[in-house]
Formats: sequence, structure tokens, C-alpha cells
Amino acid sequence: MGRYNYYKPLSLDDALALHDKIPGALFIAGGTDVMVKIVNGDIEPSALISLRSIPELSGIKENGSTRIGSMTTISELIEHPKLHKRYPVLIEAARRHSGPQIRNVATIGGNLCNCSPCADTATPLLVLDAKVRLRSIEGSREIPIEEFFKGPGETCLSSSEILTDILLDPPQREARAVFMKKGRVHMDLATASVAVLLEMEKNTCRRARLAAGSVAPVPLRLSQVEELLEGNIISSELLDRAREISSETVSPITDIRATEEYRRRIVGIYVRRGIERLLKK
Amino acid sequence: MTDFHYIGKETKRPAGPDKAAGKAHYIHDLVRPGMLFGKIKFSEHPHAHIKNIDISRAERLPGVKAVITAYNTPELRIGFLRDNFALKKDKVRQYRDEVAAVAATDPETAEEAIRLITVEYEPLPGIFSPHDALKDGAPLVHETDARGRARSDNVLPLRFHHESGDLEVGRSAASHSAEGEFSTPLVQQCCMGTAGCIAEFSMSNNLTIWAKTQIPFLAQRDFNRALSDMGLGGRNTRVIVPTLGGGFGSGLDTHTYEYIAILLAFQTGRPVKIVYTRDEEFAFLSPRQSTHTRIIQGCDSEGRLTFRHVEVLQDNGAYTSWGATYPSVMMLPATSLYRVPNVYFDSKLVYTNNTYCQAMRGYGNPELTWALESNMDELAGEAGIDPADFRMINCNEPGETTPMGLKVSTCGLKECLESVAEKLDWKKKHGKGKRRGVGMASLMHVGGSGRIYRSDASGLIIKLDDFGNANVYYGGIEMGQGLHTFLTQAVAEALGIRPENVIINPTDTGTCPWDVGTHASRGAFMAGNTAILAAEKLRRRIFEFAEELFPKEVAKNIKKLQKKDPDFKAPDFDVAAAAKRDRFELKDGFIFIKDAPAEGYMRVELGRLLRAIHFRNQGQMLTADVFYDPPNELPDFEKGYGNISATYAYGAQGAEVEVDTETGEVEIIRMAAAHDVGKVLNPQTLKGQIYGALAQGVGYALYEEIQSHEGRILNPDFRDYKIPGTLDMNFPIDLEFIETDDEYGPFGSKGVGEPGLVPTAPAIANAIYDAVGVRVHDLPITPEKILAALNKK
Ligand SMILES: Cc1cc2nc3c(=O)[nH]c(=O)nc-3n(C[C@H](O)[C@H](O)[C@H](O)COP(=O)(O)OP(=O)(O)OC[C@H]3O[C@@H](n4cnc5c(N)ncnc54)[C@H](O)[C@@H]3O)c2cc1C
Repeated sequence: MGRYNYYKPLSLDDALALHDKIPGALFIAGGTDVMVKIVNGDIEPSALISLRSIPELSGIKENGSTRIGSMTTISELIEHPKLHKRYPVLIEAARRHSGPQIRNVATIGGNLCNCSPCADTATPLLVLDAKVRLRSIEGSREIPIEEFFKGPGETCLSSSEILTDILLDPPQREARAVFMKKGRVHMDLATASVAVLLEMEKNTCRRARLAAGSVAPVPLRLSQVEELLEGNIISSELLDRAREISSETVSPITDIRATEEYRRRIVGIYVRRGIERLLKK
Repeated sequence: MTDFHYIGKETKRPAGPDKAAGKAHYIHDLVRPGMLFGKIKFSEHPHAHIKNIDISRAERLPGVKAVITAYNTPELRIGFLRDNFALKKDKVRQYRDEVAAVAATDPETAEEAIRLITVEYEPLPGIFSPHDALKDGAPLVHETDARGRARSDNVLPLRFHHESGDLEVGRSAASHSAEGEFSTPLVQQCCMGTAGCIAEFSMSNNLTIWAKTQIPFLAQRDFNRALSDMGLGGRNTRVIVPTLGGGFGSGLDTHTYEYIAILLAFQTGRPVKIVYTRDEEFAFLSPRQSTHTRIIQGCDSEGRLTFRHVEVLQDNGAYTSWGATYPSVMMLPATSLYRVPNVYFDSKLVYTNNTYCQAMRGYGNPELTWALESNMDELAGEAGIDPADFRMINCNEPGETTPMGLKVSTCGLKECLESVAEKLDWKKKHGKGKRRGVGMASLMHVGGSGRIYRSDASGLIIKLDDFGNANVYYGGIEMGQGLHTFLTQAVAEALGIRPENVIINPTDTGTCPWDVGTHASRGAFMAGNTAILAAEKLRRRIFEFAEELFPKEVAKNIKKLQKKDPDFKAPDFDVAAAAKRDRFELKDGFIFIKDAPAEGYMRVELGRLLRAIHFRNQGQMLTADVFYDPPNELPDFEKGYGNISATYAYGAQGAEVEVDTETGEVEIIRMAAAHDVGKVLNPQTLKGQIYGALAQGVGYALYEEIQSHEGRILNPDFRDYKIPGTLDMNFPIDLEFIETDDEYGPFGSKGVGEPGLVPTAPAIANAIYDAVGVRVHDLPITPEKILAALNKK
């Protein structure tokens, strides 16, 4: 484990300026990914810049739409009095994120910026059409979350950019969503996970959003399945097809947690079960 | 034996508050003045010649006080077969082989120094499965044995074999038979406290080592031998055992890191601490052995077992620990679980270039019971008999002598099976299929210690102080299981004092009498028996002195009362005449005469009497020491015969499961467990033992496996090595204890430390079979294996 300096700037501008000045510096939020990587020798940052004391990054604000500060911890998401009613799918996923101790320090921003395909908050944010706001010395920009994930461990953040907020539109009254996660034991990184959002008009699906985790280099929108469902009556045949397409369109790997085939299978089953569950609601 | 004061009741853990408050001192917390930090450089190959080790850069790093290799230190041969070395010369045989080590002023410097050491290897072909190890022309893991004689194959020179009756007769008497092959993976003990030690030499070259061990006295012998190999013959080792964060068998051997700490401490003249990180613990500490078992059993048309044929192949890894004697315990269920007249048992252990293995809770029994109890269900299926009935037909009974010569004093197996069947609502639920099923499995285990060593003894000393406290010195290990809680109860009960007046001293070879080790579920059995013997000795001496001194103390009591109240009249009872040793009683810290009037002034506090014994001319202080070797035999393992334990523990567990046939997931709906424990000594610690073990059994059944590729461990952390957590154990466990009141056990009890995980995996597997009609033969039963089996169906 190498040595590094630790900085705790009090404003966003200071944080960005520090990062600009110190080559090899890395932002740290809750540290539950960063510290693991440092201890394992996977990364050797020259300095850690903590985002913890920057007021702009914390807090959840609501006025119709919702703005979640990137430094919001997973526990804060769960405990928030309104979020679980407005975006239950996000909270369902947050509850399946790690265990209580980790959730008390791990942040939603860190979960996204770490860009693991298994990030539990990513798939619900994908089906909720969330946007993220990024800030650099040059200024800030807002992009759909789908464009945020680029490849394994790679986001569209430049190394000197900070994710400041996650933005959610007001929930659609008719929209229902579920999150499903498969681990080897209850508390585990996902072997596969699925989030499904449906807006139904009687038996016809008006809008569908599906996303899957741990089955591709990035958290993945299942747009082919969405197309299949939208505008159609959801029949048993259509569900079979949705299951098939889901299994086919993902590109999982075999690793210590599961084989590629098993992940394909689970995604298909969860997509089908997720839709069925929503239809029953 | 029902009139107990403290036995059978919940008693506080003596170290509980300190542990909860972070005041208990684990090896991780200990610091010695001038202490250095040791770190080990492990091999980068599973099998290779060492061509060159360059330590020059590490030696030059500021803060580094010593860099050692096999080339600059005395050779220390270690291990059960002495086939291992503290540091490796010439050749490495597994990824975790120690090629060099450093001692530095801080852990970071030590780590950096390790990185600066470069080793040149010439890789050799390796063997990574026991089957490959047995092939003709397989590379040899060891070219010679410990005495330098050439070896011709990879088979260990250890024979555990049993034949009884006539297998052919048994085969021809069988109307049904079932054959199966079963395997178990490498699994880790997963102690919350990782391994570590501090070694320190005095100026006279005596060694003190703070060690995470379950065998302080065998360790002392091992370390003394190392001292002699270091040219320090005649010097002595003192082993001190700090608070342990779990043992589970990992402390039944001395370890290379301990010898390396000793070498570094000697070289630097300073205390040296080595503590494993979690990753190191997973990758460089020995796990439970993997096994392959082939089993065939037959029964007659009535369902009575007629024969059993068992062959076990074990992957020993590259070196040999005490764990290699697993078959000594496997023999027990193989020959003696259920009544079976004709038995064949054989085991083979082979060297490979995998990580070498050691003991873990159950010591071969979970491995064998996995095969045996799965196969019992297979055979019941062949015979068309309900598996619960089938087990009852063949159930062991008290008083029997088994084919291995085990003398069954008490046996509650029948009651355990009945309890589990009832709790699971067996008759209603079994055989219904539809993705829900129930299954059960039994177990037997040593319950009265287990003699696998020439001495199976424990000593115990009780030193009474001037205040009525009993200071206890005992060599058995508290490692979280609650031994000190029970020892407190046992001393209080047997001596007749309050638990708060029992003080259990730290385990230290310098002060405690010899003890073979805390293994074989013997902790409470031995602690209880020694405590009872020592207490009896003390009571005898206290009552002897009381004949003279007790009446004087009572007289003082009466005088005091008369001073306060001139009208006070003592009852008409001749204390002096009644003060005879066999008429005294000691209870709750007070001595009194059994048939005297039950008045406060007729009782004398123990401390006061002890002071009266001490503070007079030619006074005495009372100490009792005892040494107890239980009435069992060291079996002849090549013949597989001998009464290894004074008594045997029995039990049964059952599971109700639901299987998701799409995802392959198994959900445990509930479990039932019934254990013949002889006598419940402490309900809370007993439940803790069974729940904890059962959870380990669930992990063994469904989740746990050290995965490796060509000898390299792929999942050396809790992210990738999964044990069940509370949310996975979120189902009811219906627990019943059967009290058989065993004559050999202290207060009627039997050992129960290990049994709780022995039958768990086959009970779950049998339930899965009942639910979906498929049987997975290799643990753990993962969803993917279930799907594969369903596919084949
Ligand atoms: C025991 C354990 C269990 C876990 N279980 C789960 C689980 O079940 N599900 C799951 O999804 N994850 C899990 N994780 C992973 C981890 O906890 C999550 O990814 C967590 O949300 C990361 O948040 P953090 O605040 O700790 O990020 P950090 O580790 O502080 O940062 C992660 C990365 O993001 C960057 N970063 C953080 N914040 C910002 C920002 N605002 N702007 C720009 N860059 C930023 C950092 O530089 C770093 O590269 C687990 C981790 C552990 C140790």
C-alpha cells in the first residue's frame, strides 16, 4: 500500500482546483470502492481528495423533480421520508446494496462513478431516465444517465470532473417499477440484476424501460425488449419473447460468481418475472 | 443429578463485557516493547525449483532489520510428517510456500521490503487433483520422505483401514443396494480473528510466543524442537494464548508463520509480530481438506443394512498437518453410524501442488457423513422405504459395541430422529414433490474426548485465595465457544461457590498444567471432569480443616450476636460434636453443617475459613491440582479398531426446502435439529454452538468453496468466498436437546462442539431430492449444479 496525501476541500471549486494542481490525485467519496482498490494494490493515487465536506454535493431537494446530491449515502436514500414513495424502485435497489455499515458511508455518486456493471443504483436510475450533472473547472453539463456509462470502469467523466447531482423527473402516476437482484447469498455483489418500469394502459404497454446489471461491460438498457413491449398487449408469448431477447442481447462473462450461461438465464427469467410482477400490481 | 445450582442455567460469559467493549486483547491488539513487524514472501509458482533469491535490495531498505531465507537460517523441519519447512530451499510445492521473510519497524516497510525481494524460479509441471496425483508417471511432489528415503509415488504413508464381518456375505444378503460418489470442496475456517503471533527471546534465549493456538502444549513441544534445531537445545518455550477470535481447527497445528517469527525474533533480538491479513488468511492458511468418497451400501428386504463399503480419497495438498488424520474420525460414522454388520473402509491421502490442508470443525466427519447420509436416502429409495423409517430400522442403541469396537454408553439417536420427524411434520410432507421437500440426516461423533494421541489428558489447578475466590489454571482454550463460561459454572457447582468467585486465568504453558488441546469436542467434557476432581480434592481438605476451625468461627458469630443482644440464646446444638468432615456442606461460598439449624450464624463464609486456615502457626493455603486421562483407547488405525472416546454424541437434523426450478435456487423454509448432548450445561452457549455450527453446515451445503486454478486460490476474500449471513439464516430452527445423562460426562454431558455441522449438508441435499428429484453429489449445491442435474433428468 503506497503513501498518499489526503485533502478535504470545503468547496467544489477548491476540490476542482486541487485536482487540477496534483497529478495522480483521485476523488474519494465514501471510499468503499477506492480503499478496497488501494489496499489490493490495484491503484496507487498520489493523493485523495475527499468530497465529504462540500456542501453543494449533499442533500436531496424536491420541487416537482428531484435532485439527489452525489454525496448522498445509500442509507440516506433509504431513510428519506419521500423517496421511497416517489421512486420505490430506487429504494428497493438501495436496500439490496451491500449491508448497513457500508450503506452508511457508500454514496450514490460513488456507486455510479465507480462504474461497475453491478452497481445497484444504476439500473433503477436507467429505467427512471435519470440525468446526471457534472462539473469541471470549465463549467457544468447535464447528460442522460445512459450516456454516462462508457465501458468497464469507464464513465464519460473526465478525470477532473465531479458528478454533482442526480436529477429525476417527477414520477409518472401510471408508472410501476421493480428491481430484482440475484446474489450467491443475500449480501453480495449482483450475479445479475434487472430493473423494469412499465406504464400500462389497460392491457397495453404504453412505455417500457428495462435495464440489467452485471451482464455487460456497463449497466445496460434493454432497448430491444422495450421496443418489443411498447404498444403491445403483454401476452404470455410476448413474455417468452422478452425473456429470450433479454438473454440474447446481454453479453455477460464467466467469473468466480457465475457462468456466462447462468447470467443470461437469470436475466431472462428476471425480466419475465419482473414484468409479471408489475402486471399483478 | 437434578439438584444443580449453576449447571443447566445461563451464566454470563466472563469475557463478554470486555469483548463487547473492545477491551479483550486479541493477537492484533498486543504490542511488545521494541516490537518489529514480520512479513512473508510467498511463492509465485505452484511447483518450481528455486534458482536464486535476491534479498539485497530489501536489506538496504531503511527500517528493515532482518531478511531471512532458507539459505541464511537454520533448517526447521515441521509438520505432522515433518515434510514441511519454515522456509523453502531448492523447491516450492505450492503457491503459499514461504521463500523469504523480513522484519521491519512498521508493517508498511515490511511490505515494501517483501516487494523488493526477487526470486528466480524454474517452473515444474504440477499436479492439481488427487486423481492426477495417482496416475503413473505423475510428477512427484516430494522426491524423498522426511528421513531422506526416495519416494516412488504421491501417496502419504498413513494407513487408516477397517474391515469387519464379511463383505461378500453382506452383499449376498442384500436385496437392495445403492452406490454413490460424493465429493466435498476445500473450505475455510473463516475465523473472524485472523492468524498471528508474537515471538520474543530473553537474553538467556528462552522463547515466549503469544500464539493463536488450540494446542499450547503440543506447540510448546514443536517450538522446543525448533529451538534445538536452531542450536538452542535445552532452551524452553513459553506459549501464551491471547483472546482468540475463533479457532475451528485452524489452531491444531503449529504454522510456518510462527517458526518464521521465531527465526526473525532470534535474528533481530527483538519481539517480532506476524499477523495475517484477511487475504493472507484465505490464501496462506490451510483450509479443510477436499474429499472424494465412493460408497456402496446394501440392505435386506426388511430394510436392515447388510454391508457398507467406503473408500475415501483426500487431497492433502503439498505438506502434511494433523488434518491428515481425518480418516481416524471418518472411521466412526463409516463403521458405527447405524448398525451394519459387514464394513469395509479405506482411505488414501495424496500429495498435490494445491494448498496444504488442516483440521476444521468435525474433522472428517462432515465429509464422510455427507456421503453416508446421502447414500442412506439413495438406498431407502431403492428399497422403497421411507428414509425416516429406514433410519429408525437401523438405529443405534445404548449398550452396543460397534464393529470398530466403540462402546456406546448412552445413545439418544432414536429420540433425535423422532424429534426431527415430528418437527418437520414428516409424514405429511415427505414424498410430495412439487418443488417443496423435506430431508433428514443423522450423526455420531466422539462425545467423551477422542484419543488420537498417546495422551488424551488435561490437567487443572485450582488455587484458593484468602477471599474465597477460586483461581483456575487450565490449558484448554476459550476460542469463543464458551469454554470459560462452562468452566466457571463447573468450578462453582462442584466446589460450592458463586460463579463470580471463579477466576479463569489466561492460558499459559508457564502456569497451566498440560493439556493435549481443544479439539474433538472435548473442551467441556475435559474441563468439567477435571473441575469436578479438583473441587472434590479441595472440599475434602476444607472439610478436614473445618473440623477444628469451623466451631471456633461459629462461636465467634454467636459471641458477636450476644454482644449486640444480651438475650440472644444459641440453640441447643453441639457444633463441636457435629463438626465432622462428612457432615459439612459448602454451597454458594458458605460452609455449614448439613443437619444444623438453618441460621445465618451457623454458616461461615469460605474466605473467612480460608483465612483461619492460613493465618496461624504453620498455616496453609489450599491448592488442588489434578490430571485426568479419560477412559478411552488409542485405536489401532490400520485395523480400525478401538474405543476412541469415552462416550459418543448423536444427533439428527432435518430441513424443509423449496427449490426454484427456473433459477436453481434453494430456499430453506426451516430446519429442525435434535442433539443427544447428555445434559444441557448452559442453554445459551449450547444453542450458540448448535446454531453456529448449523450455519456453517448451511454454508458447506450451499455456498462455501475455495476455488482454485492450478493451485492458485481465486477467491481469497469475503467478497468472493461466501458464507451465510444473518439474512441467509433467516428461517426458523427448531432445536431440541435430548438428555441421556451419560455416566462418563461431567454432570452427565457429552461433547457438542462439532456435531452441529456434521449432518446439515446431507439433510439439505435429501430435502432437495425430495423436492425436485435430483441429487447433487458434490458440495456446495449451487443453483447451477441443480439446473444441470434437472436438465439431465
Ligand atoms: C463490503 C462491500 C459490499 C458492497 N456491496 C455492494 C452492493 O451490494 N452493491 C453495489 O452496487 N456496490 C457494492 N459495493 C461497492 C461500493 O460500496 C459501491 O459502489 C459504493 O456505492 C461506492 O460509493 P463510495 O462513496 O464508497 O465510492 P468511492 O469508493 O469513494 O468512489 C468510487 C469511485 O468513484 C469516484 N467518485 C466518487 N464520487 C465521485 C463524484 N462525486 N464525482 C466524481 N467521481 C467520484 C472515485 O474517485 C472512485 O473512483 C460494496 C463494497 C463493499 C466494500
